[in-house]
Amino acid sequence: MENIRDIKIRIDSIKSTRQITKAMKMVAAANLRKAQNKILKARPYADYIELMLKVIRFKNKESRHPLISEPEIKGKTAFVVVTSDRGLCGSFNYNIIRQAMEYISQNPQADIICIGRKGFDYLKKRTDRIIKSHRDLFNQMDFSVSVEVASFLLDLYLLENYSQINVIYNEYKSVIQQRVVLKQLLPIQPPEDDTIHPLDFIYEPDQDTLIEELGRKYIDVEIWRVMLESSAAEQGARMTAMDSATDNASELIGQLTLKFNRARQASITTEIIEIASGAEAIKS
Amino acid sequence: MSKISVLILQPFTTKISGDFDHVIIPGVEGDFGVYAEHTPFITKIRPGILQLFNEGSVQKYAIHDGFVTVDANLIRILCETIEGMDEIDLSRAEAARQRAEKRMKETAEADIDFRRAEVALKKALVRIDLKKNESL
Repeated sequence: MENIRDIKIRIDSIKSTRQITKAMKMVAAANLRKAQNKILKARPYADYIELMLKVIRFKNKESRHPLISEPEIKGKTAFVVVTSDRGLCGSFNYNIIRQAMEYISQNPQADIICIGRKGFDYLKKRTDRIIKSHRDLFNQMDFSVSVEVASFLLDLYLLENYSQINVIYNEYKSVIQQRVVLKQLLPIQPPEDDTIHPLDFIYEPDQDTLIEELGRKYIDVEIWRVMLESSAAEQGARMTAMDSATDNASELIGQLTLKFNRARQASITTEIIEIASGAEAIKS
Repeated sequence: MSKISVLILQPFTTKISGDFDHVIIPGVEGDFGVYAEHTPFITKIRPGILQLFNEGSVQKYAIHDGFVTVDANLIRILCETIEGMDEIDLSRAEAARQRAEKRMKETAEADIDFRRAEVALKKALVRIDLKKNESL
């Protein structure tokens, strides 16, 4: 039988752990709401940039602008791995890393750009192809941060002989569900629907300049969207993980309390038996 | 007179939406005015002052880059930064101008820092321009 005092100490320690996991769940819920809000606010801008790009492309099917057409010479490839900076979010990072490792084994020549501390910490021990790592970006979720990442990628693509850049990230489906997405970032993929926009715009200055500018902006908002999705998914994953941790703690506390009461009962019984038998001894 | 709507889309928010008599936009190929029933049109914005006219009053904003599209009596302005009169601090803009000018003197023209300073200078000049015109 465990010592009553030991059980009591364990119960107290689990109780304080439960308090922490509960608080983390609340914080994750608040951050999730913030991230969701940002996604909603980013949508009109992102959708419209995408639409404009579609319209211009539709009008310029022959355009060989590097941002939107497959390069003729195959160059290097790179891929961006988006993980979180912090742990305690269930299988969020594991899912990404597993997919990333699979991708690496299929494309051993691909260079890697890490966003998020967790992915970098894992991959740096297993591969030497990491060319850049962005850490602690999720602390200050600001559009200018994603612009920086985007312009780094655009420079790689336009100036450094990379012919394809992919990104792998967690997409936010719901609080309890994330989906790992592998997506081609550059060159920009043709839009899925080829519906004709009824309007004939007048372009100024010329279409290639606009494709270039819109393409750059498109990558900016894509990165922004990817980071927001990933951060929302992370907070969702953390919320669920912390919720079940809190439940587990409560269950454990229940079991230990039962054990504690049994032990207390047993000690009382022993004590009474001792007194009773002592009294019995005096009587006789 | 029929009106034209203006919607300002930013990556993190959607700002002004309202109806105006006419609008003057700084395009890369020069400032241009837009009235209702304008033909569909796309252009890039250069750093300058966006002016929204409505019934004799005018709202002015400093704008630095982005796009504008005119389509079906709706002007969409897509930009990252746009600042109203009360969001600009004149002394800060002056300081930024001096800093940028100094940096441009110190660095070579091909340098990335030179281009950065140039962008910063343009922004500062637009802000100063807007603030100075306030009194006019």
